[in-house]
Amino acid sequence: MKRLRDDPHMRPLFILAACVVGLALVDARDFLTVATAASSLETFATIGLVALGLGLTMMIREFDLSVVGMYSMAGCIAVVMGGTYAWLGLACALAAGLAAGLAQGWLIVRLRLGSVGVTLGGLLVFAGIAYVVTENRALPYENMEVALGLSAPVGGIFSVRSIVAIAIFAAAALVIGLTRYGRDIIAIGSDRRAAMTAGVNVDALVIGIFGFSGFCAALSGALLSYSLASASPAGLSDVIVPAAAAAILGGVSLAGGTGRPLGIAMGVLSLAVLRAGFNAVGAPPYVNEVAMGTILLLVAVLDSTYLARRVQGLVRRVH
Amino acid sequence: MSQSAEPPLTDRTLAVPAQGQMAARAGEPRNYVGIVRAAVLVILAAVALTTPGFLSQPSILSLLTTVSFIGCVAVGMTLITISGNIMSFALGALVGATAMVFVLAANWGGFAFGLVAGLAFAAATNALQGFLIGWLRANPIIVSIAALALIYGVAEAFAAHGTIYAAAGTSYAGFKGKVAGIPVEFVVFLCVAAVAQFLLSLTTFGRNLFLVGSSFRAAEAIGVRTWRAITGAYLWAGLFTAPAGIMLAIRYDAASMNYGLGYEYDAIAAVLVGGTVIKGGEGSVLRTLAGAIVIGVIQVVLVLQGLRTEWQYLIAGLIVLGVIALQTPGTRD
Amino acid sequence: MDILTVEGLSKSFGAVRALRDVSLSLRAGEIRAICGENGAGKSTLVKSLMGIFTPDAGSIAIDGVHHTMRSPQQAQALGLGLVAQELSLAPRLSVLDNIWLGSADVPLFHRRRDLRRRARAALEILGAGEWDLDAPVSALSIGQQQLVEVARLLARDARILILDEPTATLTDTEIARILDVLKALRARGHAILYISHRLSEVFDLCDTVTVLRNGEHVATRQVPDITREQLIELMLGRPFGDMYPAAAAGPDTGDALVVEGLNVAGSVQDLSLVAPRGKILCIAGQIGSGANVVTRALAGLVPGATGRVSVGDKPLRLGSVPHCVARDLLFLSEDRAAEGIFHQRSALENLLAANFSAHTHMGILDWPKLKRIGARLAQRVAIDPRRLAAAAGKLSGGNQQKLLFGRAIERPQPGVLLMNEPTRGIDVGARADIYRIMRELCAHGYALIMTSSDLEEVVGVADIVITMYRGRTVARYERHSIAMARILADITHPVQAAA
Repeated sequence: MKRLRDDPHMRPLFILAACVVGLALVDARDFLTVATAASSLETFATIGLVALGLGLTMMIREFDLSVVGMYSMAGCIAVVMGGTYAWLGLACALAAGLAAGLAQGWLIVRLRLGSVGVTLGGLLVFAGIAYVVTENRALPYENMEVALGLSAPVGGIFSVRSIVAIAIFAAAALVIGLTRYGRDIIAIGSDRRAAMTAGVNVDALVIGIFGFSGFCAALSGALLSYSLASASPAGLSDVIVPAAAAAILGGVSLAGGTGRPLGIAMGVLSLAVLRAGFNAVGAPPYVNEVAMGTILLLVAVLDSTYLARRVQGLVRRVH
Repeated sequence: MSQSAEPPLTDRTLAVPAQGQMAARAGEPRNYVGIVRAAVLVILAAVALTTPGFLSQPSILSLLTTVSFIGCVAVGMTLITISGNIMSFALGALVGATAMVFVLAANWGGFAFGLVAGLAFAAATNALQGFLIGWLRANPIIVSIAALALIYGVAEAFAAHGTIYAAAGTSYAGFKGKVAGIPVEFVVFLCVAAVAQFLLSLTTFGRNLFLVGSSFRAAEAIGVRTWRAITGAYLWAGLFTAPAGIMLAIRYDAASMNYGLGYEYDAIAAVLVGGTVIKGGEGSVLRTLAGAIVIGVIQVVLVLQGLRTEWQYLIAGLIVLGVIALQTPGTRD
Repeated sequence: MDILTVEGLSKSFGAVRALRDVSLSLRAGEIRAICGENGAGKSTLVKSLMGIFTPDAGSIAIDGVHHTMRSPQQAQALGLGLVAQELSLAPRLSVLDNIWLGSADVPLFHRRRDLRRRARAALEILGAGEWDLDAPVSALSIGQQQLVEVARLLARDARILILDEPTATLTDTEIARILDVLKALRARGHAILYISHRLSEVFDLCDTVTVLRNGEHVATRQVPDITREQLIELMLGRPFGDMYPAAAAGPDTGDALVVEGLNVAGSVQDLSLVAPRGKILCIAGQIGSGANVVTRALAGLVPGATGRVSVGDKPLRLGSVPHCVARDLLFLSEDRAAEGIFHQRSALENLLAANFSAHTHMGILDWPKLKRIGARLAQRVAIDPRRLAAAAGKLSGGNQQKLLFGRAIERPQPGVLLMNEPTRGIDVGARADIYRIMRELCAHGYALIMTSSDLEEVVGVADIVITMYRGRTVARYERHSIAMARILADITHPVQAAA
């Protein structure tokens, strides 16, 4: 039991449990319902994959800001290209996400640039394309069959979207947990120079992770647009705040080298439960936004490099 | 334990040449960066001058006001970039929120009170972020994104309908005029730029800011109180950003979070176009001034050419990407 | 048949020519020592061999076949293996994962039983067969981590092992173990390049020795044919002892700094010292001895340091750099690139960095005055005043270090200078300048405390030497009793020294 408690990767599980118990105490009757569970999973599907891609870039001490732009752009691409064949739109969106992610990774590695700068450019370009295509309005998607199919409940609380998200998480967990890529990613995150000296192909992995991050954001955005039957550009804070907060809650540190896909999934799930819970107990929409912002600020402080030192200093001054 | 107490001893022959390597890599692209920059300016000037109506009086006036709003935020952003913290995503939200605070406070206690309240609000909000970033070394990107969400969330709670109007009968007519033919906004912006340039070049705070941005550890080692420099940078960034919000509120006799939408991106684009490097430690307000004019001209030309404002993001993105790719390589930490 | 042949290898970094036309060849079953001062080009040679740097000119041949080393992976595939000065382990990964990290043999699904077996076998050769393969390496001591690095090479069947100062951080038993292992590997036909400052190891272990100086190949000799003194002279390129200015009798104005019971968890235990004004006190110790933590702690850079410290009879609170600077305790880091120089800022600003607030007029910086002061400082530390406007990152290492010294001069009152490895990465000419500046500071009543892992320098420059081993003081020597052999014994064999 002690070992379980001390494992940093168990942290997200406790947080999830706390969320559930807390909301149940507030209003058990409205909260503990199948509808809440289903709505949690829908939110999970919306932000989960973005959080996974972003979290992986954070694990190697980079940061992919462009996920939000890619998320919006992929939705537009899917809707525009997928008018007749939904799969064609999806394929185009995924190809665009993968290619754009790889291109950003290549720029970062080849020109030895900081990832925040490059992905800031990517964010604006992708979001800009989404704005231009949609003219800042909702772009309708005529293929209602696909929309209904994606949102239709499967097995009570699941939907095609949430099953896809869960499947990708499971695949990522297997790759990170069982293959040498996972080991190499952790090594790059904990000491990049050491990993390079040991013979890890650091550049290829960095490019690959940015490609994966772009792919995940595109998949998430395209599926959301299909299920809502419309595409519209998302605001920066709508997606990246819960995604970044979920990744850090899930055990990923901005200092790199820690975190696992399952942890990120738990982090996403706790935020999704929180959001669904707020809806269920009838809180106004801004409560969710304020809560997400507060959580992100808190985890940023808890993850900060000088926190321990400053606390020690204060304690010593008090004594 | 001893490993963490002693910073890793960098292999000396690696550490020194790594520098040389950067210099050698930097030397070669620098030449064509200048050429690219000149070419872009020439093309931009040509497009602007051949755009019908660009040289008309209303167009010039609208250019000046556009530059003023972007410029105030960009000057604030310059301090943050110089301090080594890349950018703040919350400055656009701060513009909208400051406008709201200004209108609310002015409705309650008069124009002067509104002014003070707006400035104080912006300074305090930003200084708090700066403190978390400077004192605790929290990640600046995450902190500013969290602040962005919080500002929007709280504003939504306060103004359920989105827009707050100035109380009936109030009119800020006196502040909508011109001084010697120049819009008041532009005069305010020039004052903001002058104060910022003064801070950067002529005060110890400014010097320390450059040192902290250039090398945080080296600044710590010579006894610079790094957290004060960083908190100060954010505080002043708030003070320089606030006038943009207040002026927007005066202009429309109202305030809304939408007023600030996208300003942080225009601002960082202006900062980078001006030639301030994204890794910090270098830069000036004059460069940002030039950058703000470039961004302003692009926006005015877009409008005159009949392109929708949606293009602004894309243009800003292409500029940022282009400038960053051309900036000194080897800038990653 | 030579297993490794290097011909005409050159590598420059900007204006710095780190390696010039270096050639050498190595046979199977040979241990070759590479000797040279700091900055001689040893690490550049190693990194060029391993594909970490791409050389500007020259060729590398393995078994007579020429190769262009483009990446560490390629070097590894050709049978080259490196144990670098800095550990290349990922602390959060297990021993097993670290042994196979970056290996080209590892299949996609890497949790294979035979990989465990081979890792275990490699550790057994090192006498560490009982270690838990699944424990994270961060739980091991630095010496044990070094053994994991060696095990990594063994597990990969590297035929040419390159060891860059592998024993610097190890204990005696661990060193003896490594040396035995290397001898056994030689008997199995491995070729080994052994880089070490410790001449005793060179004479004990190596068959041949190649000396580099200023990036050039100076000589290659059979070890039995050369004496210790000859080797030192080859490395230095001059008779030993010319470099260091004579210690002038400084003004005897008492003790600048008194330290009692300095403790830093995990690195320094109960250290006391007294630094008199006008003298150079040298703390000698190897990497990991805690010597450089002492100076950092006294500069206020170590948050958890405790102890009674007084400067000029008044107590000093540890843990705050601004406090220490206010009391004229100034720090010069060994990591000039990361913790000393402000690369983008001008040389002038670098000189004045610590003193801006002292030259303001009603809160406004007095630039004309600052420029005058800067020009004077530049003259005193022998920097061309015309280069003051240049970005400091563009100056040579020697000039950068002079800038850092310039910061410390002209304090309102003479202070205490805390220096870690003050001549690291600096060419011979600039070193002489720096020693002269140090003596000048002594003459002005400064107290100088420095750490150095270069024993020649310690003996040449110090008035007082304190030797440290694993966080504790071993002994203290004054000018006439300072001898290299004693110091070396202290910092490596503390038991003998005590006896």
